[in-house]
Amino acid sequence: MSTMTETRTAPTRSSAGSKGVTFGGVLRSEWIKLWSLMSTRILLLLTLAAIIGIGALAVLIRYTYLDEMVRSARDQGQAMTPEMLEASFPPGSGFDLYNLPNAGLQIGILILGSLAVLFMSSEYATGMIRSTMNAVPRRTPAFVAKAIILAVISYVITTIAGVATFLIAMPVFQGMGFDLDWSTDGVLYSIFTGGLYVAGVALIGLSLGTLLRNSAGGITVLVAMFFVLSIAAGFMTLIPGEFWKYVPQYIPSEAGGRFLSIGHTDGVIDPWHGGLIFLGYVLLFLIPAMIVLKKRDV
Amino acid sequence: MIEATGLTKVYGGKTAVAGVSFTVKAGQVTGFLGPNGAGKSTTMRMIMGLDRPTSGSVTVNGRPYAEHKAPLHEVGALLDAKAVHTSRSAYNHLLAMAATHGIPKTRVREVIEMTGLEAVARKKAGGFSLGMGQRLGIAAALLGDPQTLILDEPVNGLDPEGVLWVRNLVRYLAEQGKTIFLSSHLMSEMAQTADHLIVIGRGRIIADAPVKEIIAGTRQARTLVRTSAALQLSALLAGDGVTVDQSEPETIEVSGMDSRRIAQVALDNGVLLYELTPQLSSLEDAYFDLTKDEVEYHSHLTGGPAVAAPAAAGK
Repeated sequence: MSTMTETRTAPTRSSAGSKGVTFGGVLRSEWIKLWSLMSTRILLLLTLAAIIGIGALAVLIRYTYLDEMVRSARDQGQAMTPEMLEASFPPGSGFDLYNLPNAGLQIGILILGSLAVLFMSSEYATGMIRSTMNAVPRRTPAFVAKAIILAVISYVITTIAGVATFLIAMPVFQGMGFDLDWSTDGVLYSIFTGGLYVAGVALIGLSLGTLLRNSAGGITVLVAMFFVLSIAAGFMTLIPGEFWKYVPQYIPSEAGGRFLSIGHTDGVIDPWHGGLIFLGYVLLFLIPAMIVLKKRDV
Repeated sequence: MIEATGLTKVYGGKTAVAGVSFTVKAGQVTGFLGPNGAGKSTTMRMIMGLDRPTSGSVTVNGRPYAEHKAPLHEVGALLDAKAVHTSRSAYNHLLAMAATHGIPKTRVREVIEMTGLEAVARKKAGGFSLGMGQRLGIAAALLGDPQTLILDEPVNGLDPEGVLWVRNLVRYLAEQGKTIFLSSHLMSEMAQTADHLIVIGRGRIIADAPVKEIIAGTRQARTLVRTSAALQLSALLAGDGVTVDQSEPETIEVSGMDSRRIAQVALDNGVLLYELTPQLSSLEDAYFDLTKDEVEYHSHLTGGPAVAAPAAAGK
C-alpha cells in the first residue's frame, strides 16, 4: 500500500509520460489504424477512381442517348433544341442533368460502406478489439472516433469524385448546347448531399460491423439494405392497393436518394423529408451499436 | 495493487468464476495458478474490464480499470498474444495504442528495443511466430510504463532465452515496487518467478499464500526408508503424528518424523537401514495436491497426471 502511494506521488515515468486518454489521442489512434493498412490506402484510392470512372461512363451513356435523339429528330426534319429535349422528360424521371456529379455514387456506397463494416469487424476477427479496449476502456470514444473518421473520409472522397465527375460532364453537355455549369440549380446541392448520403451509409456500415462483429455478415446486410431492398421495392409497387405504392420511398436507399434531388414532386416525399428519414435510419443503427459496444464482453 | 471482491462470472448458466476474493500486492510477483478452464483468463479479463462481472467487483490501484484517466499507465496487460490486427506492422500497432494516451514515439521505440523486436517491427504482425507475438504483447503491456502488470501465460511459446528474459523482467519490475500478476500452468516457472501464489480451481480460490508456504504446507515432509526389517521398523516408528506407508516389501515412507530421528530409532533397536532419503516436496506436488479435486478436464490417458498420482495415492 505504501509503495503504491509513493509511486503515485513521485512517478518515475521515464519516456512514457502522458496526460492520459484524450479524445484527440483516440482520434489520432484510429487514424493510424486506418492509414497503416496498405489495403485500406489502396482501396480508398481505387474507390475514388471507381466513382469517377462509373460517373464518366454514366455521362457517356446519357450523352450518347441524347445525341441519338437529337440526330433522329433532325433526320425527321424536326429542329430539336436541348431545351426542348430537357422539357420532354417529366420531373423525377432521372434525366435531370444537375445530379450528374452523383452518377457514380452507387459504387461509392458499396465500397465505402463495406470498408466501414470492416473497420470494426476486422478488429473482432483479429482480436485487435481487446487491445483497443485496453487502451480506451470506456469504449465509446473509440467508436465515436471511428465514426468521425469514416464519415469525414466518405464525405471527402465522394465530394472530390462528384466534382471530378461534373468537370468531365460539364464540357460534354455544354458542347451539345445544354445550359449546364456550377450555377445550374441543384448542382452544388447534389455534390453537398451526395457526400452526406455516403457518410451516412458508412455510419450504418460501422454500426453493422459493431452489432454483428462479423465482416461477411455486416457487408451482406449492408448490400441487402441498399441494393436488394431497392429491387424488392420495385416489386412492392406491383402489389395491389394504394399503400404499397407509397412504401418503397421510405426504404433507406430511396429516402436517401430522394434527399439528393431538388424540387417538389406530387406523390413523392420532399427531399428534406427523405434526408430526415435517412438520418433516422442512421441513428436506428448507430445508437444500438454504441449501447451494445459499451455493454458487451469482448 | 489489485483487489477482487466476490468476483463472479457466469457464461450461459456455466459458472466460470465463483465469487473469488483476493488481493495482489505491489512489490512482489504474484502467480496465478490453476488447471485449464479454472477461470484464470476470465478473472484477468474482468480485471481489465473486457468482461463484465456477473456480480462482485474488482479494482486496480483503487478504481475499476475503466475509470482511470490514463489506463495504460496504471495497468499493462498481455491477455492473449494475438490481440493485434494481422495486416498491421508491430510498430504501427504500438503507435496506434500509444496515440490514445499521447505517449511519444520515443517510448514506442524503447519498448520495441526492450522486447527485442527491432528486426521485425516493420513487418506485419500476422506473420509473427508465437514467441514474437508474445513479445509484441509484452511490448504493448509495457508501453505506458504501468504501475501494475497483468500477464496471462507470458512465457507461452517463448524460447529458453525469452523465458529467462521474462523472468528477469518481472523480478526487476517487482523490485521497483510494481504489482505483477502473472498466470501460468508451468509450475516450475512459478516456483522460480513468483513470491506469492493464488491457486484457482473450478472458479474458486483454493490457496492464497507465499510460494514457500504452499510448498511446505500442503504435505508433510516424507522420508523414504529401505530396510529388510520393514515391519519391525514400522511398529517402532508408529506413534502420534507419524504415518508409515509400505509400498514394497522392504520400502516404507515415513511422514511426521525427520530422517535424523528415524535413523536414531533404527540404531537404538539394531535395525539395519540401507537407504534413508528425505523426499523434498515440490511446488508441483503441492499443486496436484491442491487441485486434484478441482481439475475441470480430467485426462483419462495414463501418463499425464501420473507424475503425481503415486504420491497422491500414497498419502
